[in-house]
Amino acid sequence: MRPVIDVQHLTKTYRTYKRGAGMGQTIRSFFRREEVIVHAVKDISFAIGQGEICGVLGPNGAGKSTTIKMLCGALYPTSGDIQVLGFSPSRDRKRYVSRIGAVFGQKSQLIWDIPPIDSFHMNKAIYGISDADFKSRLEELAELLDIAHVMEKPTRVLSLGERMKCEFVMAMLHRPDVLFLDEPTIGLDVVAKVKIREFVREMNRKQRMTCILTTHDLEDVEELAQRVIVINHGEKVFDDSLQRLQLFLGDKKLVRFTFTDSTRGAHFENAYTRVIERPSDLQITLEVDTSLISISEFIESIARKHHFSDIAVKELPIQQVVMKLYEGEQSPPDMQSTPEVSLSR
Amino acid sequence: MKRYFKIYWTCMRSAFLAAIAYRMDFIVSSIITLVGNVLFPLVTLLIYRSGASFPGWTLYEVLLIQSVFTMSGGLANLIFGGVLWTTMSHIREGSFEVILLKPLNPLFFIVATTFSPDSIGVLVGGIALFLFSVAHVDAIPLLSWLPFAALFAAGTAVMAGITLMMAAMSFKWVGNSRISELADSVLHFGKYPLPIFPKSIQAVMTLVIPVGMVGFLPASALLGRVEATDFAAVLPCFLFMAAGAWIYRHMIRLYEGVGG
Repeated sequence: MRPVIDVQHLTKTYRTYKRGAGMGQTIRSFFRREEVIVHAVKDISFAIGQGEICGVLGPNGAGKSTTIKMLCGALYPTSGDIQVLGFSPSRDRKRYVSRIGAVFGQKSQLIWDIPPIDSFHMNKAIYGISDADFKSRLEELAELLDIAHVMEKPTRVLSLGERMKCEFVMAMLHRPDVLFLDEPTIGLDVVAKVKIREFVREMNRKQRMTCILTTHDLEDVEELAQRVIVINHGEKVFDDSLQRLQLFLGDKKLVRFTFTDSTRGAHFENAYTRVIERPSDLQITLEVDTSLISISEFIESIARKHHFSDIAVKELPIQQVVMKLYEGEQSPPDMQSTPEVSLSR
Repeated sequence: MKRYFKIYWTCMRSAFLAAIAYRMDFIVSSIITLVGNVLFPLVTLLIYRSGASFPGWTLYEVLLIQSVFTMSGGLANLIFGGVLWTTMSHIREGSFEVILLKPLNPLFFIVATTFSPDSIGVLVGGIALFLFSVAHVDAIPLLSWLPFAALFAAGTAVMAGITLMMAAMSFKWVGNSRISELADSVLHFGKYPLPIFPKSIQAVMTLVIPVGMVGFLPASALLGRVEATDFAAVLPCFLFMAAGAWIYRHMIRLYEGVGG
């Protein structure tokens, strides 16, 4: 089956000027500017199928937003090819954008000084939505996002969470086939985040809507995405399922002990164990490489030396996995041999 | 076409609602714009009161030029006035993609959403001054109104072209908030009878940056002072506006956003 989003060897290069810091460098750059070539996106390729939710992770400046903007048709790629829904976003922009929606966490589509309902009416005219469709769609979205009571208040008086929900209505009124979300939960409280995640899941389920999500909030990815792409320094460093991402560092688990007696002076570090946290002599969190020792053997080995009253075994947090990827830690050999996973530094 | 009219109407309505959301700001900015644009003919009045004059032109004939200039500026500002500042702010903040996400010509969308109702004051002030001047010049033949309308439309196209070119420059020349002063200084030439300037300036002001078309030629049409050759400048005016729109659309390709 043909993918909904097909990106081949995408590259974006900017030309900018080095301005320098401090008085001396600034004055020097005023008279003689040094040209700097920025490779924001380097030869990225991926394909996404219909109905898939794909999370795009990466540190600040990694090239995530640039990639999303090129996918939305807002930026021209320097080279490479993008096909979304059979369109080339930059070449067929007008026809293409009528089939997609986008929510940018830090850029608003609402008109600041008037109520969101007026902005919704503007989109109704722009996308040529019929009166009946607009009414039913708005009722559905307003109920799902619980915003019926705020739609007629000026946008400027709404809370960030309410505004973001209205941004989703703006993006969804015309029933897009693909939704691009660029940090949609940035700055939101837990309640608003949960509501927005539920909404995206529901739209994805009901409409088979394909979704690309860039975020720094790994919970967004854990809650929504089946697939994860990690971008760092403009390059794709990982592209696979969330489970595979969690396995990235091998079979490692976190084990937290609460001891009944002090463990002062005891050593826990060895070939398969690493101390993660030791807040007191009675508590410790260890990272255990379960490819070298089974969890039961490990617990037995600890129990032989120390008495404990509580134990908790957890998966390695995804945050830690991603940080390792960002830092460019080498992948284990079994991952490198997997053809679906691209790991490059 | 019908769809575009509907979109324009809806966006214009939203722009109007946004403009009047803050009553005092709307009233004060309308008054400031009106005063700033309508009071400049006072200088002309002072010149003539002191016994000086523009050779070959009576006070009311000069006021007629200036009233046409004001009307043209008011109309162009009403429709295109917000394009410059909105484009500039989107580029500086890296939010131009919000415009590009709409399935429309981005220039049309910006023009529609930046309808500037606070310029209505200038247009109304210009019309008042125009009626006052018309009442004091020689009787205007009915047939003179047709060439006036054509030249007035051409003059408004020049004003629009200048705005679009300035807005287009902000794609490359990011954050230059004084760019409009450059245009204002060129436009000053259009507020006075063209024959008072040297021939070379007259040629530039008619054919290169046709600001002479904004006030001088339409007013001359009413006064029966135009010649058939003057109408040759009508086409460059519309080409000038088309060039502004073309440059703007071309410059969108340079848009690079800001770091996300």
